[in-house]
Amino acid sequence: MQGGSAILGMPALATFGAVACLALRRPPHILAATVIVSALELALASYLWVAVLAAGFVTAAEEWFFVDAFSAFHLIVLVLVFLLCSVFAAIYFADETGEHAFSRPVARRFGALWLGSLAAMTLVLVSNNIGIMWVGMEATTLLSAFLISLYPSRLSLEAMWKYLLICSVGIAFAFIGTIFAAASMQSGGGAHAEALFWTRLAAPDAHLDPTLMKFAFLFILVGYGTKTGLAPIHSWLPDAHSQAPAPVSAMFSGFLLNTALYCIMRFVPPVRYALGSDFADDLLVFFGALSILVAAAFIVFQRDAKRFLAYSSVEHIGIMTLGFGLGPLGSFAALFHMLNHSLSKALGFFAVGRLGQRFGSHDMTTLSGAVRSDRLWGLALLGSILALIGAAPFAIFISEYQLLRAAVGAGAWAVLAIFLIAVSVVFLSALRHLIDMAFGDAGSPVAVLRTRLPAFAIVVPALAVVLLLGLWLPPWLFDAIGQAVAVVSVRQ
Amino acid sequence: MPALLSTIHAIGLLTCFALLGTSRIGACIRWLSLQGILFSLVPVIAHDDGLTLRVILLAAGNIALKGVLFPLVLLHLRARANYHREVGPFVGFVASILFGIAALAVSLGLALELKPALSHAPFIMLEAAIFLIAIGLFLIVSRRNALMQVIGYLVIENGIFVFAVITVVDTPLLVELGILLDAFVAVFVMGIAVFHITREFGSADVDQLTTLRG
Amino acid sequence: MLTLQGFVSPLCALLLAPLLVGIVNRTKAFIAGRRGPPLLQPYRDIGKALRRGSVYGDVTSALVRLGPAVNLGALVTGLLLLPFAGVPAVVGFSGDLIVLVGLLALGRFATVLAALDTGSSFEGMGASREVHFAALAEPALLLALATLARVAEASSLSTIYGGVTVAAWAQALPTFALVAMTLLVLQLVENSRIPVDDPTTHLELTMIHEVMVLDHGGPDLALIQYGAALKMWVLGTLFVGLSVPVHSGRLWLDGLAALAGMAALAAIVGLIESAMARYRLVHVPQFIVGAATLAAVGFIVLLV
Repeated sequence: MQGGSAILGMPALATFGAVACLALRRPPHILAATVIVSALELALASYLWVAVLAAGFVTAAEEWFFVDAFSAFHLIVLVLVFLLCSVFAAIYFADETGEHAFSRPVARRFGALWLGSLAAMTLVLVSNNIGIMWVGMEATTLLSAFLISLYPSRLSLEAMWKYLLICSVGIAFAFIGTIFAAASMQSGGGAHAEALFWTRLAAPDAHLDPTLMKFAFLFILVGYGTKTGLAPIHSWLPDAHSQAPAPVSAMFSGFLLNTALYCIMRFVPPVRYALGSDFADDLLVFFGALSILVAAAFIVFQRDAKRFLAYSSVEHIGIMTLGFGLGPLGSFAALFHMLNHSLSKALGFFAVGRLGQRFGSHDMTTLSGAVRSDRLWGLALLGSILALIGAAPFAIFISEYQLLRAAVGAGAWAVLAIFLIAVSVVFLSALRHLIDMAFGDAGSPVAVLRTRLPAFAIVVPALAVVLLLGLWLPPWLFDAIGQAVAVVSVRQ
Repeated sequence: MPALLSTIHAIGLLTCFALLGTSRIGACIRWLSLQGILFSLVPVIAHDDGLTLRVILLAAGNIALKGVLFPLVLLHLRARANYHREVGPFVGFVASILFGIAALAVSLGLALELKPALSHAPFIMLEAAIFLIAIGLFLIVSRRNALMQVIGYLVIENGIFVFAVITVVDTPLLVELGILLDAFVAVFVMGIAVFHITREFGSADVDQLTTLRG
Repeated sequence: MLTLQGFVSPLCALLLAPLLVGIVNRTKAFIAGRRGPPLLQPYRDIGKALRRGSVYGDVTSALVRLGPAVNLGALVTGLLLLPFAGVPAVVGFSGDLIVLVGLLALGRFATVLAALDTGSSFEGMGASREVHFAALAEPALLLALATLARVAEASSLSTIYGGVTVAAWAQALPTFALVAMTLLVLQLVENSRIPVDDPTTHLELTMIHEVMVLDHGGPDLALIQYGAALKMWVLGTLFVGLSVPVHSGRLWLDGLAALAGMAALAAIVGLIESAMARYRLVHVPQFIVGAATLAAVGFIVLLV
């Protein structure tokens, strides 16, 4: 089938790249390899996306792999953000010196784990077998744990251990949920061998056992919710994001969290068929609102810029989950929001990371006068944080506005109130720091950094896209997101 | 054979209570090993289609991993970390045992609720699986030593294994292999992590990992 | 229900209880490589104490004199409730297992009051430790007996122990095994044996039970020693009744088996005392709760 080989090619290429990185000799070569692989993956993903939008879905290997509009959209965002992160990693690590020097063993470890995570994430997104999907998520946990402690220190090891333990338990719970889902299909009389295929599970005539499906969704939500950063099981997130090197944090927020949310959403259509729409929607709205509230509460007293961005990720994941629980309009807003958030958050981590290299710390009081000292990255910081807190006319403002409309349409007034209060709190807290960070007195830099062309190549287009999408949503993008929404917004 | 399952269930419960009440890490590792071997026998006993080669291989693989390999890795880590006792856990040992009894009651209740939907699963094994998961989670939360947390994770894995074996009829080999592989890789990854931690901190005391707050 | 045949067993108890203590001491000595005191030495000790006079302090009241007597009285009454060797107890009614535990508690209460009444701080310390462990051991004993009651679906000790046959063991193997272990542990706890308490220590600060009776002498001491032997018999009956399920119907055979079981139990206690060291005081609650857990698990295994 057209596009079938592209499906298989994506994880295979990334795996090959990961292995190759272990063999390369010079760190710049390794970084170049990651960029090249990411670019090739982007090409494959675009080809796949076009094929899916034309045909509705693409399968490969006797339906073991399946890509519909929902997965294709996620794939595109994944590889786009990954490419940006890889280019940034090349810029960032080139200037790391001293005890954080990007030596050959560190570079090999980074390259292999980085591309290995890409392979695992693409595997999650293209597989039709919910067991394989789970294996991919487990692999991302194990691989990305060592990315956090790329430079072992007390704090990074602490963050890594918390991440490893909490997410492993979460993934174990998600596995229990997967088993429940498979059992619910078998109880209903479904064929045993195909119990793990999503296409069978989400078919309207699957006859799923309601009790088992209810337990399945609960375990899936808690299990994958741990990996996606839903409160109250998000406690690993701020530590992992703040201690990991900036490119890794950007990859986490830019894509890993969304992959876990994708896994949760994959189980929503079967639950809708078995238990009606209310059960899944209520749970999604509850966890989404809780995450937004908790994130807003903790953002108020943050001093570390990366921790601030991490809590912002919890908030935005909460917004997306909330959107998915508010019907088709909300789901549209959530998917659009995903694109915007990934781009803005990645850019934000890039800026903070680069400025952190310049000023020697990530404390928001140290990073002052960024726009004055480093024109490009200061502007990137200003733009990305403004975008993240929902300032118009950036795209996140538009997606949040669409979410508000969806909430009003669904009559969810309490949720609306919580959302507005939390977002305002975040807005004010961020602005308090942002003005100093951007326009304050220029701090004393500890390193001299040269901004070359690749930096321009990632900052300017990213900012431009985030700005453009806030003003105009291209019709083809509108259609693509609409097709993706149709996958998860099934009516009973 | 219900009598055999009943015996496995009773001894399995005892291993969980022993894990809750023991402070010596070496003893805990041995209890875990016994638990792993015991519950590896469940697929052999509970399989309706009888003893196929696949079932025997699965049981043997499980025994090799959980009964032999993982305990050896953990003992090696314990020697490396030189941390032989759990002193001062967050929840004391007597309270832990009392929690265990409460968890037993709760898992009975949950198993009763699930019984109508999972009619082909032996009831006591269902209850044992839920209990194992609860105890594993409690061990992770209440213990100070990183090695005890890894042991808690392996108890959860045992529970998931039993649950998967009895719940999904005609389990695709993939699922069983997935569980084994997952436990295998997870233990190695955690082992490497604990090694790094002990090297950096000088001990595997998780209570020292509290600098990152808020 | 009063039966005449039932009086055989309390008579056995009254006559043979100190022999148990003798067997324990002899076993310990044997393992230590000594010859040890004669088996009938506890009788001589009780007789010797009876012939002596008592000395009472000025600060004491009648409680000091009452304590040992009430203890002994409670234990003798308890003997009336115990089935032995397949023979139902003299007095049996539904719920009498709770009365038995209550009588043991009454005895302990009297001993503790007498200890506190002497006004010595050592005794007070021993009393508080004794009560601390009793607070954990009594629920354990009740749980064990309740589990047995659940198996037999009756609550009279005679009915429960009458139903303990080899067939019953085969059917409820895990439960019976666990409850037997609990009862063995309780034997050690209630009779102040190692690993809970060292009966041969001479250091007051390490004593629990011994220190409570430190200031008693003469006939009081005789009553206390005899009472301790009876308590060992009572708890031993509970254990042996469970673990020696010989119900052939012939009194002499069942009786012989039960007596042999009691002697073996005493030897086992002696073995355990020789093989282990006393636990630190903070670990004793864990030990007792562990025993209670065994009984609880045995109970829950029944429910599924």
